[in-house]
Amino acid sequence: MNFTVINRELQVGDVHIIAVTSSAVFLIGDADIINVASAFDTPPEALIIGPFVPLTPRG
Amino acid sequence: MKRLSMVQLVHNELTSFSAVFQIGDSKEITSRVKVLAVQRQQELFFGNEGEVTFPIFTNPIPRLAIDTTSLQINKLNESPAISVRTIRVLAIAFSAVVHIGSTSTIDTEARIKHTRQLASNSGAEPALVAPQASIRIIKDESSCLQ
Repeated sequence: MNFTVINRELQVGDVHIIAVTSSAVFLIGDADIINVASAFDTPPEALIIGPFVPLTPRG
Repeated sequence: MKRLSMVQLVHNELTSFSAVFQIGDSKEITSRVKVLAVQRQQELFFGNEGEVTFPIFTNPIPRLAIDTTSLQINKLNESPAISVRTIRVLAIAFSAVVHIGSTSTIDTEARIKHTRQLASNSGAEPALVAPQASIRIIKDESSCLQ
């Protein structure tokens, strides 16, 4: 596959970001390869209402 | 060829938990983080928690395999620079990358397990109740739905 990119003039004013988190990328520049992944686990059983029990892999 | 990055002013308050704040060119950035976030209504820690492995920390995350051999990229930089006046980033965290300059490869991965434990309305088991724990418990519906 052929992929042609023409980078013309790029001027940016003010960038205001609260947060860059969970494997996100904010890039001013060029890159060849960007590979990001994020897994976030908060299943229903992650909210436990009741006695405080130690954490176990099944709940 | 890669372009020049010009930024007049950068402001960052917090870079934490395996995050990267890079000024200048780089070749390869690999960032990994595993987070076990526990919120308990009462101050309580059982000592050995977090020593067992949870599936989210070991299960493979599917990744796109990039085959660059079959890809022909032609880049024409009519302007040699990218210019930005100001950048304000409050926080960079959990394997994130803020990069001013060019790079070749960025590879990041964040695995976060979030657990919340609230006391039931009947109160927690006496043995685990903190001394001052005559607290009124209100289930936070809004955070349950998030």
